[in-house]
Amino acid sequence: MSVPYAFKLALQSLRKDKWINLLSMLTIFAGLFIISLSFFIFYNIEAATRNLPEKFSLVVYLEDTLPREKVEEVVASFRSRREVASVTYISKEEAFRELKATLKNSQYVLEGIDDNPLPDSLQIKLRKDAMGSEPVRQFAEATKKIKGVSEVDYGEKFLSTLHNIKNGVRIVGIILAVILSTGIVFVCYSTVKILFYRRNDEIETFKLLGATKGFIRAPFLIEGASIGTAGGLTSLVALYLLQHLVILKMAASVPFFKTLLFPSSIFLSLPLIGMFLGISGAAIALGRLKY
Amino acid sequence: MMEPAGPMIHFQNVTKEYENQTALHDLTLSVEKGEMVFLTGPSGSGKTTLLKLIYLAEMPDHGSITIAGWEATALKESSIPFVRRNIGVVFQDFRLLENRTVFENVSLALRIRGIGEREIKTRVADALKTVNLRHKADSYPRRLSGGEQQRVVIARAFVAEPTVLLADEPTGNLDPDTAEGVMRTFKDIHAKGTTILVATHNRDLYRNSGKRVFRLSEGSLVGEEVC
Repeated sequence: MSVPYAFKLALQSLRKDKWINLLSMLTIFAGLFIISLSFFIFYNIEAATRNLPEKFSLVVYLEDTLPREKVEEVVASFRSRREVASVTYISKEEAFRELKATLKNSQYVLEGIDDNPLPDSLQIKLRKDAMGSEPVRQFAEATKKIKGVSEVDYGEKFLSTLHNIKNGVRIVGIILAVILSTGIVFVCYSTVKILFYRRNDEIETFKLLGATKGFIRAPFLIEGASIGTAGGLTSLVALYLLQHLVILKMAASVPFFKTLLFPSSIFLSLPLIGMFLGISGAAIALGRLKY
Repeated sequence: MMEPAGPMIHFQNVTKEYENQTALHDLTLSVEKGEMVFLTGPSGSGKTTLLKLIYLAEMPDHGSITIAGWEATALKESSIPFVRRNIGVVFQDFRLLENRTVFENVSLALRIRGIGEREIKTRVADALKTVNLRHKADSYPRRLSGGEQQRVVIARAFVAEPTVLLADEPTGNLDPDTAEGVMRTFKDIHAKGTTILVATHNRDLYRNSGKRVFRLSEGSLVGEEVC
């Protein structure tokens, strides 16, 4: 079959059954738009929290009685660990100076304290790939067991909350994407099935005249691809409208909106995703139909 | 298509049943290459079933059918379209596509075979000229009379120059003059070497034709003669 003729048949069918096709296209648009919105939310949470681990550090308090050379040993042992990005030694004197500076306007807090009560400590920053809540917990537990370490302090709650939020959004996003993508495939599947039944007589004639399955299938695949692509394009346009007419306008009055990132290069693939889902739905329908 | 060593169409002890109703019973017949034969008998005698078995719309329950050297029951599903492309059919119920013009209906037989646009234009124009419908090329089937529709179907059946042409009651809707014209067309096509099988209960079509006539009754072959 000539490819232009398959396109011609598909175009004729798109025009003839325009209401069914339009309805399917709108359903695909709605599905892809919701998937894109949840991706947009996830993308922004991810971007907002991306740099947080760099600011995160563990504080390892050393025993008061630990001799200087032992401190050097402990520092060296941390530096040699793969997950450690940096180790900063903070002597008890330095820590006390910092405390005094911090409490510059509340000196009364330190009144009566003559001896430095602070221990020597190490500020440890971990590499990005070791920043999960569980690896950090394990690292802290292992650190506690090191001879000379009295206490380990880290934002356990902060880390696990951040981890849970990101994971939660990711899981909800994936579930939503899977459900809606299946829905889109099903819409295309049903549309092609309806169109196929409506053209049953015509298909029967094609067959009796010697048409191969490929000849019969091609226009339906093109139709499924067209509906999917149109749905993807519409959702892309809707996202740009949302960005320009809502988010950018709101940014003028609400600073929060200024911080939102719009992943245009990823959204540009929406028509392609729509086309893929459309072809998949059509292919499944054609595979299940008896003809 | 492969040139058959034996007959173009051969039925050997063919039986076809529909829900316990015997449409054809133990039928054996042959049609030679380039021959034109008639198939006659009352309504329900099995003429349409026999044609359906030839253009592979049905498969026999028993017996074997050979078409141009191909054993019908041994054909793979994927091969059926390619065998059908060598068979032109004038369907009793026309099977014209209502939403397509006469030109598009006739050209369909060529498009399915992957023939190019330029050749399609020439061949469809010639076919429509043969059935005197060139002036109706842009008309839709519902705007044509029954006779004109029948001629469109005939044009579609022979435009791809099939090896075998089957016609199921091809003059059923035609007045005697048009019917005569249609038969002349069949004779012209036959003269080019096409094997033709015409199913009809109109005796005028085969009377004094000098062609073989198979008589069917209740699914059985009850006679064969040259008229």
